[in-house]
Amino acid sequence: MSIVEIKNLNKGYPAFNLKEVSFGINEGEITGFIGRNGAGKTTAIKSMLNLIHPDSGDIRYFGKPLAENETEIKKSIGYSTGSIAWYPRKTIKDIVEVVKKFYDTWDDDAYIRYLKMFGLDENKKALELSEGMKVKCNLLLALSHNAKVLILDEPTSGLDPFSRDELLELFIRLKKEGVAFFFSTHIISDIEKCADNIVYISKGEIISELPKEEFIQRFSEKGESLEDAILRMEREASNG
Amino acid sequence: MGNILLKEMKLSASGLSYVFVLFGLMFLLPGYPVLCGAFFTTLGIYQSFQNARETNDIMFSALLPIAKKDVVKGKYLFVCFIEMCSILLMMAAVLLRMTVLVDSPIYRNNALMNANGFALGLAFVIYGLFNAIFVGGFFKTIYKIGRPFIVFIIVNFAVIGTGEALHHFPGLSGLNAFGTEQFWLQTGLMTSGIITYVVLTYRSFKQSCFRFERIDL
Repeated sequence: MSIVEIKNLNKGYPAFNLKEVSFGINEGEITGFIGRNGAGKTTAIKSMLNLIHPDSGDIRYFGKPLAENETEIKKSIGYSTGSIAWYPRKTIKDIVEVVKKFYDTWDDDAYIRYLKMFGLDENKKALELSEGMKVKCNLLLALSHNAKVLILDEPTSGLDPFSRDELLELFIRLKKEGVAFFFSTHIISDIEKCADNIVYISKGEIISELPKEEFIQRFSEKGESLEDAILRMEREASNG
Repeated sequence: MGNILLKEMKLSASGLSYVFVLFGLMFLLPGYPVLCGAFFTTLGIYQSFQNARETNDIMFSALLPIAKKDVVKGKYLFVCFIEMCSILLMMAAVLLRMTVLVDSPIYRNNALMNANGFALGLAFVIYGLFNAIFVGGFFKTIYKIGRPFIVFIIVNFAVIGTGEALHHFPGLSGLNAFGTEQFWLQTGLMTSGIITYVVLTYRSFKQSCFRFERIDL
């Protein structure tokens, strides 16, 4: 069942257009959002969070339009990006003390549980955290207020293979607790490892939205790996 | 409303914003342009905006379960809070200078502006202009802070210079009144300053909400 539905999303910039983007995120599943750098992943994700204004399109969470229910919807979602650190000189504890007041669903027991699960020290400052730890810190904030959907923009970028693997294992573990993940990446092996569904975007257009196995069956030629298939498709698209 | 102000105070604010409130006590300094105290307080607030920009504070706030206009409201509440703290210190200084220290020679023989109701009114005007020019200017882009602050500095010192000069003009010596002299004139000037502050801040807030709604983060 789709708990997030994006339909016909358009956003125009002078040098780039997001064109008729449509896809869904299913409850308790991991959806990988793949595309090369500049394909429109971050623009689509920011539109999904109302951080940028699409020119047209419909965004619904749990059947409700985002535009009219933004405050309520944001209580049920979490966001993380690998590239941004919030308040580098504040400790996790400082940030949590403030953030928890915005959520009536905040669960202190869950906070303690995930703090231990992720191996985080709440007295550490954000600037003392590794890239992987920063992503985990954002997951901690989201899961402690019982977010049902986690939207992650390039969470594994800049991580070493061990940290990436650890993070992907964590996604799989949390999925079993009913959390839906939507994460963008240009690292195709990450998708192969943990995604249930694949949304593939190229040049601002959705090329395909399919369950992983079906995606591989449809696009891989002669036993190609998923990575090889995507690379071939990108090359073909570039050559027109 | 309380939560977003708390967020501003605990996460976004620079410590200098709180320390620079103490410049409100410059209203006690003799032989010094007392309104510079208001300027230094705004300099402290400027540090918080710089801090906010460097710590991705606006983006963080926009992701919280609040309306976009509440992000703007948080910034304005914090700015007004700091300004009012500084005004309280200025008021205490004015009360001292107008009562216990009214005949003190160091204040009586002061060539510069006296710290009185008129000076307080001008401090309100300076804060109102800061909110309109700097805070309103910040919400045009949410990252450009240098230009609106420079514009504010120019306007601010024009106001201070005018305030310092006016009481030297014939017929305007009442602006520099001591104690309860020219009580109604002084009260009227202070009230005018307060009204200017409220109007400038409210208009700036409304405009900032409008601008921020249209910004792509």
